[in-house]
Amino acid sequence: MKEIVGNRERDVNALKQLLPLEDVLFTTYATENGIAFTVVYLDPLTDKAVLGEQVVRPLLCYRGEGNATALSARLTAPELKSTKEFSVLVEEILAGNSAILFEGGDEAIVAGTKKVFVRAVAEPPTDIALKGPREGFIEDVKINASLVRRRLKTPDLKVETLSVGTRSNASVCIFYLDGIADRKTVEQVKAKLKKINVDVLPDSSYLTRFLSERPRSLVKQVGTTEKPDIFCAKIAEGRVGILVDGSPVALTVPYLLVEDFQSAEDYFVPSYRATMVRILRVFALIVAIYAPAFYIAAQLFKLQLIPVKLLLTIAGSIRHIPLSPSLEMLLVLLVLEVLNEASIRMPKYVGMALSVVGALVLGETAVSAGFVSTPAIIIIAFSGIGLYAVPNLIEVTSVLRLCMLLVAGSVGPYGIILFTAFILFYLTATESFGTPVLAPFSPVVKSDLYDSLVRYHFDALAMRPRSLKSKNRRRAKKGE
Amino acid sequence: MSKISPRQLLFFLAFVAPVGKIVLMPSQLVFYAKNDLLFPALIHYALQTGVVFLVMLLSRRNQTLFEMLRATFGDVGGKICCAILGLFFFFSALLPVLEQKLLVQSVFYDTLPSLLSFLPFFLFSAYLLSKPLSAYGRTWDLLMPVTLVGFLGLMIFSVGEADFLALLPVGASGASGIFRATTSSSSWFFDGALLLTFIGKFKYEKGLAWKSALCYFLGGCAVLFFLAVFYASFSDSAIFQTFAFAKISKYFSGITVLGRIDYLFIFLLSLTMAFYTVIPMRACVSCFRETFSHRGVPALYACTVSAVMLLLSVLFTSSFGTVRDAITGPLFWIFPLFSGLLPCACFLLRRSHEKKI
Repeated sequence: MKEIVGNRERDVNALKQLLPLEDVLFTTYATENGIAFTVVYLDPLTDKAVLGEQVVRPLLCYRGEGNATALSARLTAPELKSTKEFSVLVEEILAGNSAILFEGGDEAIVAGTKKVFVRAVAEPPTDIALKGPREGFIEDVKINASLVRRRLKTPDLKVETLSVGTRSNASVCIFYLDGIADRKTVEQVKAKLKKINVDVLPDSSYLTRFLSERPRSLVKQVGTTEKPDIFCAKIAEGRVGILVDGSPVALTVPYLLVEDFQSAEDYFVPSYRATMVRILRVFALIVAIYAPAFYIAAQLFKLQLIPVKLLLTIAGSIRHIPLSPSLEMLLVLLVLEVLNEASIRMPKYVGMALSVVGALVLGETAVSAGFVSTPAIIIIAFSGIGLYAVPNLIEVTSVLRLCMLLVAGSVGPYGIILFTAFILFYLTATESFGTPVLAPFSPVVKSDLYDSLVRYHFDALAMRPRSLKSKNRRRAKKGE
Repeated sequence: MSKISPRQLLFFLAFVAPVGKIVLMPSQLVFYAKNDLLFPALIHYALQTGVVFLVMLLSRRNQTLFEMLRATFGDVGGKICCAILGLFFFFSALLPVLEQKLLVQSVFYDTLPSLLSFLPFFLFSAYLLSKPLSAYGRTWDLLMPVTLVGFLGLMIFSVGEADFLALLPVGASGASGIFRATTSSSSWFFDGALLLTFIGKFKYEKGLAWKSALCYFLGGCAVLFFLAVFYASFSDSAIFQTFAFAKISKYFSGITVLGRIDYLFIFLLSLTMAFYTVIPMRACVSCFRETFSHRGVPALYACTVSAVMLLLSVLFTSSFGTVRDAITGPLFWIFPLFSGLLPCACFLLRRSHEKKI
């Protein structure tokens, strides 16, 4: 049976067969003029107060005809729809809404009685800003959508909702500005989302591999943010945004690598300060990846790379170290990674103790015991700090740092050069929805360089990035 | 995704192509021309600039070299020409590869490293050779600032220690010295032939021929400046300074305090050099792919060329001097033939073909 037949008892029995669950409740009432109706709802997900006040109470006082349109007109619940399909009813009931089946009716009414469990909108811990908005996305897609709508009050903001996951049926909302976003990218995103065949979609990060052209690549091909202001800014530039119900992390495509070196705060400070900070982030990342590798390469293969006085200091520090420089560095790096991993997972009060153990016991004692040298700890500590200057790239850069260390330890300085060349070449060949991730540097897009690693005055940013293939490139009149 | 933009081509000519000429060539020029080392380089650059201009004029019809060869010599004739060209590019790649191997072993390691130290280059080349030209084009975009910073850094460090009076008197080595230096350095000047393999892979736009010639010549001017600083820094002992760019800044006064920070710039130029060394091998791969009508996956050609090059570099481990003497001595004529006469012949053939039509 696929459709409602109009016989309430038969319809209720059919629904019971489709939903043989203990927490799906079937309650039968009658209107004042004797029309029997059964309310079906999922107990844990339904707001019973709303159901009672806005659905059952008005129906109990009803005296009119027994059809869906007339009955719906009496209900005070704001979200109402009627359907004949059992599949739709099952989907709605499992989402927390209530179905009303009544005697003689060939349609059932679905009332929006979903109980929403949400945490408060708060600043995301991964993207803290000293200046600018502090709101962050939460797990409820409707609230997230409202945060976006509040910032982009235009009918051009299109929101299309898809359902992904054969079992989770998670709502995936696609956001874009009509007339600004590249239509081809929007269609590609929709096509890729429709093609996804998974049973459960627990988080938006699951979507990235389906949206990436090279799913196994180390390089990111989808941008992420937890802040609605950044999300809206990206949409306004011509990108397509994706929000997933149950995830506070929003996705944006096409992705450019330079995005991760920029922060929302850069636009709230003078351009020279923003430029300085961006260049500092690049420097920090380069140091994070290369410092341990160059230290090892210099010690093992080319001592000339280190100034003489520094070399003498290092020689004094490493004199009694039993491990080879590569092994020593790998050991310190391993300890850092373990400490990092443990401190993220541990409760906060244990984390404090962990910091003491990590800094004093492992660091200080290991040096005085002669297991590792002070320069190795300093370099790894500096590298560890540098990595967090660009938090969105930590997953990639920590792997690159390890690879660079292994290459430096085995092949030496030339290995570092070749591995760098390989990474550069690989990056240049990587694209996100037809846009090279290294744009505007490779290929060079002159007009987009004004807001890349440098940030010019707002006068120079009157046009949207050319790399994003926006249909309407002008976003402000020059000088305004 | 198989084409490059004209801008990327200009970057290649101005910033990537000159890098191959600052390793062994300077000391080779000094060997014959002494303080007149600028003249042979200038002659080569003047000739190659003309060739670059002609090749760019050839590219106006947006036809690849192989399409031109097939149209002129027929299918079989075209394939034979491709095979010969492929062999030439393989031969021309040999010296840069051996040069780089020696550079790596001498400059990047305090002690003589094992053969394994240069082995990763062939893995790198095999990967690159299997990729389309557009990926190279994008890399040239990135290499522009890399080369610029590397070159400027080295020049700033070295120019203060240079005594340009060492370049005087002009013409001291005589015409024969300059001629010998010109012929012996011809193996470093085959950019015209390399450019032939790029035609049809970018959209010709008005004035590109002039721009390309100018960019190539500007790159050449940078090399000439480098040569002048090189000789001015080392004078008569320049003949022993085999890896010029790695040694040119070693007298910088700041090095005693800061250490060899010039290595930072040497590393940057070596990064560009790693890409430059692969270009003749790429030309070889594309010629052989044309010869065999693109049968088999690109990776097969890439791996084969890299493997044979690896084999040769192992074979010539202890006989680099002999190979260099052969290439720069009795076999020098191969380079002007393919990088000078061949582009001119292509241009003339094209014109006569157009006239017939």
